[in-house]
Amino acid sequence: MADPIHQFQIVKVVDLPDVTLPLVGLVDLAITNSHIAMTIAFAAVVLFLTLVTARPQIVPGRLQTVGEGLFGLIDNLTDSIIGHDGRKYFPYVFTVFVLILAMNLLGMALAFTATSQLAITATFAVVTFALVLAIGFARNGLGFFLLFWPTGAPLVMRPVVGLIEFFSFMLRPVTLALRLFGNMLGGHVALKVFAGFVVTLGAMAAGGGLGLLGIPGAALSMTMVVGLTALEFLVAFLQAFVFAVLTCIYLNDVVNLGHGH
Amino acid sequence: MAADTPQSHGPDAAHTATTEAEHGSGGLPQFQFQHWGGQIAWLLVLFVILYVLIARVFTPRMRAVIDQRAQTIAGALETARQVQTEAAEQAKAAAAEVAEARTRSQRLASDARAKAAAETAERSAAEEAKVADHVAKAEARIAAMRDAAMVHVGAIAGETTSAIVEKLTGKAPSAADVKAALAARGAA
Repeated sequence: MADPIHQFQIVKVVDLPDVTLPLVGLVDLAITNSHIAMTIAFAAVVLFLTLVTARPQIVPGRLQTVGEGLFGLIDNLTDSIIGHDGRKYFPYVFTVFVLILAMNLLGMALAFTATSQLAITATFAVVTFALVLAIGFARNGLGFFLLFWPTGAPLVMRPVVGLIEFFSFMLRPVTLALRLFGNMLGGHVALKVFAGFVVTLGAMAAGGGLGLLGIPGAALSMTMVVGLTALEFLVAFLQAFVFAVLTCIYLNDVVNLGHGH
Repeated sequence: MAADTPQSHGPDAAHTATTEAEHGSGGLPQFQFQHWGGQIAWLLVLFVILYVLIARVFTPRMRAVIDQRAQTIAGALETARQVQTEAAEQAKAAAAEVAEARTRSQRLASDARAKAAAETAERSAAEEAKVADHVAKAEARIAAMRDAAMVHVGAIAGETTSAIVEKLTGKAPSAADVKAALAARGAA
């Protein structure tokens, strides 16, 4: 049976020399399967959005309806969670959403899923976290720390609750990264395990004799693969959406600090 | 990627040339940190390009068409509302016209009825007058004839009386006696 973890292996497709960049340090410039998956996702998004907005119709066609549906989904999200300032942050949330969605969905078609790489999900999470911090300090200055001061709690409890708030705030990038990573990893491992059962049990059955008992097992595994594939499509969309929702919530915390609390 | 090499079973399997040799220490390939830098850098590049494209190109285009659609719909709704109020006004005017026509026709009908009634009354009154005239003339004629008859009654009574008395007594009474007796009886 094929190793279910093997699908996550980074493979260099074109090896380029390592370079040392200031700040970042040593960077391997090699083009890997991960780079290719990311680039295809990026190109797909750009192509899709270009097609959707190239010749926009007042009465939208099918593709435009889908595009405007995604647009409206995130637009409603930023509007309803962040409020009237939401439009300013819409491009960021929409970029995160469509890029993650494209990578997740491509993972269903390609052998490699970019969002099953912790490096990728962590980058999304850290960029979002850094943006939240930057907006928090830019808009509120040191008043940003009021985020950790729970005015609703009794005075004695406030330092304790504030400390917990602070830790949960600092854990946000970790949970953001791990949630997406874990979902993609788990789903694809499960798919690969059941698909492996189909092949192994099928090979047993092909050997004849007692091996024929493998047929029901293989059939059951096949059913599982079909069901899991449908589920993974749902997860692919849902995790991108969850990432967008959480991004909005975290942005709302700092954009409307002191109003909404 | 699992299907490419059949010998990718065990951790110690001899892999093809590239970095797969580093795979094998067990654990997830995601924690091979030598691959992180390149992926992160490339993701950031793609992310920034996509962000700029979405913020500068796609979002304005989308908003433009959505706003345009909203305007179109609002305009169409406004037009529809105007047409509706116009239609309602026209319907009201038509109803008023109908009501006016109805009262006019009712008045016309009642006028005609009244005129006809008056004519009938006049004609019947004239007929009645004619008939009454006839009746009066006839009554007058009857009265004249009766009076004439009554004049002769006294004379006939006197003659009859004297004839009866002559038969009974054998001698004719005087005319004055007969006249007195008749007067006493109220016949003359």
